Amino acid sequence: MGKRSLPLSVLLYGGLLFWLVIASLPVIWTAVISFRQYVDAFSSPIKWVAPFTFENYTRLWIDKAFYRNFLNTAFVTVCTVTISLTVGCLAGYALSRYRGALGFWLLLVALMFRAIPHSSLLPSFFTIFDTLGIRNTYFTLIFVLVAINQPFTIWMLRSFFVNIPIELDEAAQVDGCTRFQAFRRVIIPVMWPGVVTTGLFSFLLAYNDFLLSSALTSGDKMTMPAAIANAITAETEAFLMQGVAGAVSITIPLIILVIVFQKQIVGGLTQGAVKG
Amino acid sequence: MKTRSFVQFVAPSVAMMLLLLAAPMVITFYLSVRNCALEMEVVKVEESTPFGKRETITQRAKLDANGRAIESCEFVGLDYYRKVLGLDKSVPLQVDQPPDAGGKPTRAGDPADNEFFGALKFTMIYTFVTLPFVLLIGFLLALAVNGATNKLKGIFITASLLPFIITPVVAALSIKWLFRDNGLVPYLLSHFGIEVFWMAQAWSARMLIIVYGIWHVVPFAFIVLYAGLQSVPQDALEAATIDGATRWQKLRYVTVPHLMPLFVFITLIHLMDAYRVFEPVIVLTQGAFTTSVQYLTYHILLLENNPYKASAAAVLTLIGIVVLLIPLLVKTWREQKGGI
Repeated sequence: MGKRSLPLSVLLYGGLLFWLVIASLPVIWTAVISFRQYVDAFSSPIKWVAPFTFENYTRLWIDKAFYRNFLNTAFVTVCTVTISLTVGCLAGYALSRYRGALGFWLLLVALMFRAIPHSSLLPSFFTIFDTLGIRNTYFTLIFVLVAINQPFTIWMLRSFFVNIPIELDEAAQVDGCTRFQAFRRVIIPVMWPGVVTTGLFSFLLAYNDFLLSSALTSGDKMTMPAAIANAITAETEAFLMQGVAGAVSITIPLIILVIVFQKQIVGGLTQGAVKG
Repeated sequence: MKTRSFVQFVAPSVAMMLLLLAAPMVITFYLSVRNCALEMEVVKVEESTPFGKRETITQRAKLDANGRAIESCEFVGLDYYRKVLGLDKSVPLQVDQPPDAGGKPTRAGDPADNEFFGALKFTMIYTFVTLPFVLLIGFLLALAVNGATNKLKGIFITASLLPFIITPVVAALSIKWLFRDNGLVPYLLSHFGIEVFWMAQAWSARMLIIVYGIWHVVPFAFIVLYAGLQSVPQDALEAATIDGATRWQKLRYVTVPHLMPLFVFITLIHLMDAYRVFEPVIVLTQGAFTTSVQYLTYHILLLENNPYKASAAAVLTLIGIVVLLIPLLVKTWREQKGGI
């Protein structure tokens, strides 16, 4: 690092501070007004300090049974991540070990599938699921999310498996393991960091999904993002403030996630880029 | 690995994608050339009002013996495509021509005609306006953090991740609340004499969507480029310093070329993701001023309640993304032919 002149340092730290404010302002301000009554939350002029209230949260979580949406989200995301990783590890491992052209084409098709706008699938999802009578069920949503996640999951897991030396498989097979046993007993145990990172992204995709969740679930099966959709059009004061409390409730687990898994998330983001 | 065991290993994943991604796309195409409608019968309803008798003619669904509505389906060819594209029926139509070939420019958000081109136009504006900002701000941040003291780096990266991992619908709502009348931003801007009702005009609503897009994607560009900066060859930088290169020259001739593949990578990912822009559109405008291609399908399906027309919009959307990705596909195919 060369020496920096003073103006450049000021510019650097000033710029960073500015971005820090921009990056966190929507989240922080939403959190601040979630503890206020409507009249204090949206007022002219803005109130920097206002009476504290927990009412929005109690109304949302207890009266509106938001815990139900929370449990739905928890169940759907846990199932989605588990199935995604199980299915994805098998495919990602095979893709990293197979040298034929078939593997290349599968990866290319997966890349194209990754680009599918999700709403393009909805008309046929509606038609199929209505015909089968399975539209508003947990497992329909879970399998849809797993499928949507697959292209990304197998790409990412493959890039982790590629780093594991093939000699490890060979040694296991010489010792009498079948291909599957080698995968299960030898490769997966050393793959944990990669599995955790991929799992995180698969969690984020499932947890953050709004389009499919809100279209495929209704009533008591709604996930948190689907439930908060009411707040989009809500202009009555109580409704709006419950939406604000809901927004904060959805964000808190994510903030914990970032703090705990920062290294893995950063690693995952750069994984695809560095490996090409 | 033998092909046989390869196939066994990838089977569950492939089955999942075939069943829930590939098959639905085929079915969407099938739906898009059909139309099913409830069979209607015309009924006259007589109403007595204080101003005399009034006769209105309404329709109601014909019911079969079990009391279920009778649906009749027919093949309608490209009718719905014409409707979505806002083309006159007399004009001959080729569906797979590039989207801008036949379309006269219209204002977005005017659902009466040319719905698809309006949506596509805004989607493209969104994509190509956000892209340079994302690359530039991401790059500047990466440089700045790289130059900051080590203690601050961790905190800074954690805080920067927030806009990227937050639930998009929640993020869009937060921005909406921030810019709402009596919200924080209009209040702050009023000190500078700027009075805008952000969600009440087309231009400002669109600008908010673009601001959201930049805010949401910059962290991704930043993290990727920051990681890239760690691997800039130090000896090349030192050599440049010895040769008397200025800071700017080192940046221009050593760092940027080294990061080029990452800029390309971010651009590709952004092209794919920006084409799918949805949450800010539904949250910030509710489709009133502007639409995106994803929003269009959603709107026709859930609000107009017409799966057949929605399928036509969906097929056009898919054609659009394929057209967008063709350069990438051609490039990959060439590399594959050249051997991996």
